[in-house]
Amino acid sequence: MASTDLEYKSSSTQPLPAGVDYFKADVILRFMLLAASVVALGVIVSSDQTELVLFQGNLVPQPAKFKYSPAFVYFVAAFSVSGLYALISALASIAVIQKPEFKLKFLLHFIFWDALILGIIASATGAAGSVAYIGLKGNSHMGWIKVCNVYDKFCRHLAGSIAVALFGSIVTILLIWLSAFTIHSRVPK
Amino acid sequence: MEGEHKRMSYGVEGVESKEMGKAVGVSACDLAMRVLAFMLTLVAAIVISADKQTKVVPIQLSDSLPPFYLPFTAKWHQMSAILYFLVTNAIACTYAALSLVLALVNRGKSKGLWTVITVLDAFMVALLFSGNGAAAAVGVLGYKGNSHVNWKRVCNVFDKFCDQMAASIGVSFIGSLAFLLLVIIPVVRLHPRTW
Repeated sequence: MASTDLEYKSSSTQPLPAGVDYFKADVILRFMLLAASVVALGVIVSSDQTELVLFQGNLVPQPAKFKYSPAFVYFVAAFSVSGLYALISALASIAVIQKPEFKLKFLLHFIFWDALILGIIASATGAAGSVAYIGLKGNSHMGWIKVCNVYDKFCRHLAGSIAVALFGSIVTILLIWLSAFTIHSRVPK
Repeated sequence: MEGEHKRMSYGVEGVESKEMGKAVGVSACDLAMRVLAFMLTLVAAIVISADKQTKVVPIQLSDSLPPFYLPFTAKWHQMSAILYFLVTNAIACTYAALSLVLALVNRGKSKGLWTVITVLDAFMVALLFSGNGAAAAVGVLGYKGNSHVNWKRVCNVFDKFCDQMAASIGVSFIGSLAFLLLVIIPVVRLHPRTW
């Protein structure tokens, strides 16, 4: 965390250099979230695969697309929202570096929206992960057969996308920690 | 960083502690949220672990033979996603109880502990939301099936099982909203003037 370099004055307004490390870390983390969202989206959207399967006695080509499952559709929607949010908040964070008097107000807004986006991203990761796990292992009790032995490229893309999504969730948690830590060490009273 | 220049304005119901070097009081709203989160996750964990239904299903091998009846049991531990949901709820419940005790004990003593609690609150939000998402995805799969991969739906047969699972997921979702508010509310209370 960036708190080791913070200096304090007794006056109510905090001077600028105290939070420079925080600014940089914040911008870097937001761009990492943007990159993670874009990569996760790209990998899952390009995951379509068509294979010949035995279906009712005939060998027919059956496609596997991400939009066949509502969990993956929700995953794509959630990470689109997260990518958009990461872009907007990264630009806002860069703008705040120029005008540090708005910093505290922005921090409060950031924590609020970061927490919301964390909830959305984490639930999307969990949903996609659980459906992909059933696709990987099947579920004999419910009669759901596994599909990853047939659709290997599809499952590889899913696995990569969910791993990147997990990384994105961790980055969002770090953002919340950073913002909370900075607020509570710089509150002017 | 504990130091003399640290100030916190997080106090009890509008009374703000302005003393230098002293850490936080704990608001009644925070404690109430923790109790609520504890109870909700506990209820969700109990409801899903008691979820079991046995149905006798007639199996028709061919038209000439009479159908014979097999009992099928649906239990929560047959699905890994439900197990993960139960584990996350158990972890969140334990954490809510522990942080409740710590917050009560820690009234204004140690700043570092308060920071750790906030940090863990944010982590619990993510964990709980991911458990909810996983269970909800599996629930939707059970309700509707997936025709593209030939996964048949099961909730037309095991209706009570699915209803109980849906109730448990709903309760856990409200619990995760309580954890979310635990992260957001202290921040809002910190600077009411700027909102």
